[in-house]
Amino acid sequence: MVGWEWPPHHTGGLGVHCYELAKELTRLGHRITFLTPFTGPFTPVEGVTIRYPGSPEGGKPSEFPPAYWAGNVPGSPFWNATDGYNTWVANLSDLGNVDVIHVHDWFGTEGGNGLAHRMGRPLVMTVHSTEYDRSLGNPWGHILDREQRGIDAATRVIAVSRHLRQQLIDRYHADPGRIRVIYNAVRPSDRLANIDPHRRVVLFVGRLAAMKGVDTFLRAAARVVPVFPDVLFVIAGEGSEYSRLLHLTAALGIGDRVMFLGRVSEEEREILLSGASVFVLPSVVEPFGIAALEAMAAGVPTIVSKTSGVAEISQGIFHVDFWDVEEFASRIAELLEYPTLSRAMGEQGQWEALREGWSERARETVSVYLEAMNVAGRR
Amino acid sequence: MKIVLYLHMHQPWRLARFRYLDLGSGRSYFDVERNLAIFRGIADRCYIPTLDRLIRSARERSEFRVSLSITGTFLEQARLAAPEVLDRVRELYRTGQVALVAETYYHSLAFLLPPPELHEEVEMHRAMLHSEFGANPKVLRMTELAYSDDLARFAESERFHGMLAEGWEGALQGEPATMRYCAAPAPTVMLLLRHYPLSDDVGFRFSSTGWSEYPLTAEKYADWIASTPGELVGLFMDFETFGEHHSARTGILDFLSALPDKVAQHPHLGWATVDEAIQGVPRGPLSVPYTMSWADQNRDLGAWLGNDLQRSAFEAAKKVGLVARRANDPAILTDWRKLLTSDHFYYMYVGGHGADQGVHEYFSSYDSPYDAYANYMNALTDLRRRALERLGVPILK
Repeated sequence: MVGWEWPPHHTGGLGVHCYELAKELTRLGHRITFLTPFTGPFTPVEGVTIRYPGSPEGGKPSEFPPAYWAGNVPGSPFWNATDGYNTWVANLSDLGNVDVIHVHDWFGTEGGNGLAHRMGRPLVMTVHSTEYDRSLGNPWGHILDREQRGIDAATRVIAVSRHLRQQLIDRYHADPGRIRVIYNAVRPSDRLANIDPHRRVVLFVGRLAAMKGVDTFLRAAARVVPVFPDVLFVIAGEGSEYSRLLHLTAALGIGDRVMFLGRVSEEEREILLSGASVFVLPSVVEPFGIAALEAMAAGVPTIVSKTSGVAEISQGIFHVDFWDVEEFASRIAELLEYPTLSRAMGEQGQWEALREGWSERARETVSVYLEAMNVAGRR
Repeated sequence: MKIVLYLHMHQPWRLARFRYLDLGSGRSYFDVERNLAIFRGIADRCYIPTLDRLIRSARERSEFRVSLSITGTFLEQARLAAPEVLDRVRELYRTGQVALVAETYYHSLAFLLPPPELHEEVEMHRAMLHSEFGANPKVLRMTELAYSDDLARFAESERFHGMLAEGWEGALQGEPATMRYCAAPAPTVMLLLRHYPLSDDVGFRFSSTGWSEYPLTAEKYADWIASTPGELVGLFMDFETFGEHHSARTGILDFLSALPDKVAQHPHLGWATVDEAIQGVPRGPLSVPYTMSWADQNRDLGAWLGNDLQRSAFEAAKKVGLVARRANDPAILTDWRKLLTSDHFYYMYVGGHGADQGVHEYFSSYDSPYDAYANYMNALTDLRRRALERLGVPILK
């Protein structure tokens, strides 16, 4: 598995996805070698070997810098760092008996493809989001190329929603017959029993990136705050938009009613979810939106933008146009005002989120692997 | 054996999206344009062609009879959207082969509200039937064919001579649904029962290609009726069965047109309006101590008040009624009563299982029951504020 992040350190949903998927794959009897450019520490999983450039188990000591965030290394621009990672991946040896190379998003497509070619094995690529979405329509050509080459080279492509699948067909001219949709999932938490439904926290969890629509969250907050004096809007996450959002909060005059928590640990996030009254995912584009699924699993009534992939699998949440601040504000207010509604949606959302878990997703993934191996003429 | 064909005409005033932030804005709760557009569509597909066929049947066959119930909200929309529908009802009524049935003006669950709401709504409806059609109804039906011993007592106190009810085995305890009964607690009130297998053959199964009896012809259906033992067979269904629930393409309108001729081929079959059918000796008293309806598999009120959302919304409406009535403002009272229409609660049904779910989704005008509830509660909350304002009570929130 050619990945990027791996817990406990991760900035987005990709690391969690790889971790949960790999864990369930091992339960199904598969063994995983997970490749990452980062040096750890890594949450260990039995049956998963984690390798990174310079890791002691093998591979040549690499020029790749042993830092968590490669982009921070002086003189090492982001794409040079990913180039280094890809070169390392493509030239890896002593991997043992590998059946499938599975690459996630664009970071390692070159290396994954090189490795697949060299070993004569099929390449499977999971697309979690695209550069068009992440950049809100101003993509970096360099990243687009990586995505395109991965999508072209992969024997099978996994998209995390039908919405994303369509985008791959429309924007990347991907062959529809090679794309499979496998949704994200969420792991039930022990803390779910401790939910206090009466605390009035409206929560956002996610990266502070333009595509996440945190602006809308704040503008809706400004409409709700005068009506519900006991409500606090909590933003958990970090990202490049932070200072701009902070200015917006001040400009809206709701500085005392909004809390920016920065990045939160798994545990903190669980505690937040267990106390939240409403969860909002107002993303402009959201190929899946695993954060919303996690909130639903915790029984928190959830509002998502209609453009979120997660909207495809849930009736028990409100779907709002991403630009409709008044509607987001009204939906938040309705969930704060009507306890019967909040309870009913919390229960329905929880049922919907938990009815299928990572083991179903892993099974679906294995069937894509098998397809890919069949196509490649090897079983 | 008399066939009692009874068709129910109803349209609710559907709500507009009324956001929480619209509270106090003075915006209307009801999307009049959308309701009228829906009405016009159904008028073209169903009301007009079906009424035309009923008129022709009445003209061609003097023995043909039909009974109609027409809600107040239906009439209001018909006046604005398609007055030609009402012209046709009048024309049909003038044949003298038609009975009109009384009910609550707002198609409401007023029988669960404190008095005098039920009395007032039935009176409003009775006055409407009189002024619009010159009719004096003898038979009462409750919303969704709700029936109980208490409702029979109510019908008696309102001087009705009959009520309609579901011919459900649970209530009949082995007695046939094809006989006339009287209400045990109010023996002057005759009960006419819906023959649900034969009614649902047309209402639900007519266009279902997977049904073993598909396609259902008028001839076959008349044979089934002819071979049914008893004195009365109650074919009670939504008027929209003809041309709306089953589109004209399915042949449902031709089926309806052909039925009187096919029935005439059986000498022992005839037709009766509900007013005619209540004349005669009852087989015996029937007691129904609980409320029974014609809906879903359980024949109870579960489709309207079965879950927390529905009960909470209805309880809230009940409470708002206390101030809405006292506010002494016709606009407030009318808005409140439009919110009592049972359809609003039906949209809040949360299902997900079994045959009934499809029926519920078909009728809903919302994305989800949660959407329906939130919107309803916003309108109701706004109405409560208006009433309180009118009463000069300070609003806490």
